[in-house]
Amino acid sequence: MSERLGFYFDQTRCTGCKACQIACKDTNDLPVGVLWRRVAEYAGGSWRTHGRTFSPQVFAYYVSMACNHCDDPVCTEVCPTTAMHRDDDGVIVVDEELCVGCRYCEWSCPYSAPQFDADAGHMTKCDLCADERAEGREPACVLACPSRALDWGPIDELRAAHGDIDAVEPLPDGSVVQPNLVIKPHRDAEPVGAGRGSIANPEEV
Amino acid sequence: MNVADLPMAVFTVLAQMSVGAFLVLGVVQVLARTVGGRSAEQVDRLTDPILYAVGASLVLGFAASALHLGNPINALNVLRNLGSSWLSAEIALGIAFGALGLLFTLLQHFKRGSLALRQALAAVTAVVGLSLVAAMSMIYYSVDIAPAWSTWATPVQFLTTTVLLGALAVGTALMATILVRRRADAAQAAGSEEQAEDLALITTTLKGVAAVSVTMLGVIFLVTPLQLNLLSQGGPAAVESAQVLSGAWFVTRLVLVFLGAGLMGLFIYRFATVTREDPRPLATVVSVAFGLVLVGELIGRTLFYESMTRIGM
Repeated sequence: MSERLGFYFDQTRCTGCKACQIACKDTNDLPVGVLWRRVAEYAGGSWRTHGRTFSPQVFAYYVSMACNHCDDPVCTEVCPTTAMHRDDDGVIVVDEELCVGCRYCEWSCPYSAPQFDADAGHMTKCDLCADERAEGREPACVLACPSRALDWGPIDELRAAHGDIDAVEPLPDGSVVQPNLVIKPHRDAEPVGAGRGSIANPEEV
Repeated sequence: MNVADLPMAVFTVLAQMSVGAFLVLGVVQVLARTVGGRSAEQVDRLTDPILYAVGASLVLGFAASALHLGNPINALNVLRNLGSSWLSAEIALGIAFGALGLLFTLLQHFKRGSLALRQALAAVTAVVGLSLVAAMSMIYYSVDIAPAWSTWATPVQFLTTTVLLGALAVGTALMATILVRRRADAAQAAGSEEQAEDLALITTTLKGVAAVSVTMLGVIFLVTPLQLNLLSQGGPAAVESAQVLSGAWFVTRLVLVFLGAGLMGLFIYRFATVTREDPRPLATVVSVAFGLVLVGELIGRTLFYESMTRIGM
């Protein structure tokens, strides 16, 4: 596992259409309430003042997020059963035979990557489309994006091509869990922790 | 209040009450024998039956925790990540506390082993129990992305619940013990002198229980504003948590704990001072206090889970 796999997200291209989210759900046959990839709309605003004139200064942008298969994953650390583990190819997956469904990983992951399947009684999550990759195809979310905002691959290559920004609001600082994620920020993207906006579609993520 | 959080709330509150009751029984043992000059036989006569209730409450707590699991059949797997997961540590310490407590209870029941051996075993059990409460706190304290959990208030609140409910549970159990015994003795028309001695020890203990209750109430009313202040100065997730911790259910919880530990605490102290013959009024106020605080703490604990709002998406 010399090279870790990760995602690239070009925020400047994302229109919030959720094709990635739906392609993921379809390919992986996810039940209602389980989303391995989610698209949040982060929005906020304030007023710009010129003398006695106020004009609105607003922002809104999308964040498409799945599992970032972190280098220092909190989910595997807190999992009491070791069901949450790093697979041979470096991708973080759930061993359904071991999982007890305590949801501790769900509490701990800042990306909401571990998703609870209530009917199955255990956690599930993005495995970077292991089945698709085994057949030589790309992950469903990457293929589905109409504006080609998503890419995947060895993280070193993604970083060489696109830089090393791994967080904008509302994501947390990447230094703690070391996500294998590269973001090309939207022009209005707020810095981590700015707290000037909120997720406008909480019921969808 | 979210009903889905009840299994976790019942588990943590009952397990903490169980640890607290064991600790309080230990303190009663030590104080009654040293300061009070009571015989080991008399103290054991009153405290031994309560050990069964301590065990029952722990078992009930564990049973409730299983309801939280998506797949309880895999429950034993939770010990597989010891050394990394605080949840593994919690369950391991919970099992150790239960096993040591059971061993101690059996030795006490059959009066096997020397007194020193049993005392040492009780001390080890108490330390393991406190470690259990510490591990429980760490499960939540270590979730860095949850501002409502990742504060010093979490261990302080868990410890407060442990001591407060432990003391009131022991107080209630002592009264239940003596009431049952009085009924049995009345049937045989015997044991009045022994009964008077026991009642004297119990009323002294209940004064202590009242003092502990009022002190813990003070801690709760100190921690609450400090924690809310901390959360309301934090980011959006922290502010959202603070709103849960100031809603109607939270006020209900504070009122119940105030009535139980504060107002009833005063009555417990008063009744324990004047009780001479009939222990029933004292038994009533102690059990009402215990009931109010137990319900209040259960509500408080479900809110603890509900107040968890995460940073991130």
